[in-house]
Amino acid sequence: MILEFLVSAIGLGALYALLTIGVALLFGVLGLMNFAYGEILMAAAFAMYLMRDQPWPLAVVVAVALGVGVAVVSEKLAFHPLRGADPVTLMIASFAVSLAIQSVARMSFLPRAQGVSPEPFLSQRISLAGAEVSVLDLLTLGLCGSALVAVAFLMGRTSLGIQLRAAAENFQMARNLGVKPDLVIPAAFVVVGVLAAISAVVLVARQGAVSAEMGLQPMLIGVVGAVLGGMTSLKGAALGGFLLGAATTLLEAVLPTDLIAFRDAVLFSALIVVLVVRPQGLLSGAKVRVS
Amino acid sequence: MNGLGSVIRGVQTPVLLVGLVLVPAVVGSLGDVTLTRVATLALISVVFVVGLSVFSGTSGVMSFGHVAFMAVGAYTTAYLTIPVNLKQALFSSLPEPLAWLADVQSGFGVAVLVSGLAAGLIAVVTSPVVARLSGLQSGIATLALLMIVNNVLSSWTDVTRGSSSMIGIPQATTTWTAFGVAAAAIVVAWLYRRSRSGLQLQASREDYWAAEASGISVGRHRAIAWVLSGMLCGIAGSLYAAFLTSFNVNGFFLTATFAFLVMIVLGGYLSLSGAVIGALLVSTLQEVLRRLQDGQFTGGSALPAGVADLVLAAVLLVVLVKAPFGIMGVRELAVLRRPRATGAETPGDDDGVGDGGDDGAVHSARSDAPAPVAGR
Repeated sequence: MILEFLVSAIGLGALYALLTIGVALLFGVLGLMNFAYGEILMAAAFAMYLMRDQPWPLAVVVAVALGVGVAVVSEKLAFHPLRGADPVTLMIASFAVSLAIQSVARMSFLPRAQGVSPEPFLSQRISLAGAEVSVLDLLTLGLCGSALVAVAFLMGRTSLGIQLRAAAENFQMARNLGVKPDLVIPAAFVVVGVLAAISAVVLVARQGAVSAEMGLQPMLIGVVGAVLGGMTSLKGAALGGFLLGAATTLLEAVLPTDLIAFRDAVLFSALIVVLVVRPQGLLSGAKVRVS
Repeated sequence: MNGLGSVIRGVQTPVLLVGLVLVPAVVGSLGDVTLTRVATLALISVVFVVGLSVFSGTSGVMSFGHVAFMAVGAYTTAYLTIPVNLKQALFSSLPEPLAWLADVQSGFGVAVLVSGLAAGLIAVVTSPVVARLSGLQSGIATLALLMIVNNVLSSWTDVTRGSSSMIGIPQATTTWTAFGVAAAAIVVAWLYRRSRSGLQLQASREDYWAAEASGISVGRHRAIAWVLSGMLCGIAGSLYAAFLTSFNVNGFFLTATFAFLVMIVLGGYLSLSGAVIGALLVSTLQEVLRRLQDGQFTGGSALPAGVADLVLAAVLLVVLVKAPFGIMGVRELAVLRRPRATGAETPGDDDGVGDGGDDGAVHSARSDAPAPVAGR
């Protein structure tokens, strides 16, 4: 019972952490608060719908490819010309990108929500150390957890990761020291595309449906988590997302039934309080790069 | 120098802008039903965008949350003007402390004012937040405000009908009332810009720290502008509700936010004239696109739904890249210029491309703007 709860709660926390990192990575490197993140996710989810009759691993690969494609194209078309613009301009631009991708989706393939029947193996339950754990929860935990580990490895151990972190620290300085913007920034978008796609795979399995608007909620989770955790440090952001997942679960358990509908209002009020009282985020150090 | 000339130069901008919004009013009152509808909605958009510009234009801080004020105004108007017997049927399960709401009834004029005040109340409550934040933080916080209001409106089903539409509001907004309110909003916004508080706020927009160092309490003036602009946007919501007679909570969310954002960015968000011009241009563009989508111009070969949104998004991106300060930049509409070129010449609109500085880092529109500060 407890193990089951833990797997489910940690799984959700890992998913939220993944969503948050996707938002925080681009913010760190580019100063871009990316509202189109949800639409990258939606594109990947759409791939899952398109490949619903194919083997599941193949569908996942296609989803990752589509997520990366949309992320890179949005960088080329919209964010590349705006490189160096101030964060508010970038945020407005990402609004535009988000709406553009949504309307393309709506007029081409997804005029209304489409069901994706969950893979049969996902609805099974297996016994693990004496507890019945659903495969879906295990998959959430496994996929999101390994994605988090992979990101930690990428950022900490590889040359690209070091360049990305240097760029997030001080873009101008990193450039002077030989970090190539035209390499690092698209690479960041590729990473974001992969992360969004993995989140999308998990979300589609959990929700069983795909729609043009499905990106909004995950994107908001990412933004809230990133602000809570501190937008400059990826560790802080990941922790922020994780805690947000925990807080969400907790609120759902603690709030009286007729107030659960107002959960988002509580979360966003908390967000505003954090912005006012501790703009560098709850978990980050003193460094701030906002506005 | 000559007194009359400077008076005319002083008031020419609001006069020209009112003249500009007279065009859709005349077109709307002469045209057919569709044209009247388009023109009236365009005028309501003018009220909203001018209201938004009172805050964003003078302070240089972009807000993504003003649609929340519009929603508050619309719901207030619905509560005040829906006939009592219909209201009792619509809201049969009002919670006890709010039960009196079912029996209130007022005329349209009172409803407009109360809607403005209700939105102003929300603005007063949220103003300490706005006073403290700048740039992106403010953007996120205002967006969070929109999320909160939307969440409450769509979940508090007993009071707001949740995701069902609000219906049965008597139609009271005509093209000419919309025009009258738009003209009044322009005058109010212009008076605020020329007021002591407005000038100090514009000084802080140009250079936050210099303004602080000169003794301007930027936060307080941001709060004043926030409340005033919230009230104007609430009034816009009231007009909107009393024009369409029914509305849905989804009408006050991201799509609407985005449309107004395109208006104010296209026109130039630092300039009052830009707000008016942007609102009118984008309203026209939206209508043309709607007709294209319906296939009216191309003889039946309709474009797929969604093209309008796509075009709007593309327009916004092009404007952001090519001219981040929009059509007007920091200029205001004027025919008479000052007689002497005292350095009051304004930069071109593409002056700030690639400018990596703060969002308000543009040159002052008028060289005399910081004068009241120097006088302190």
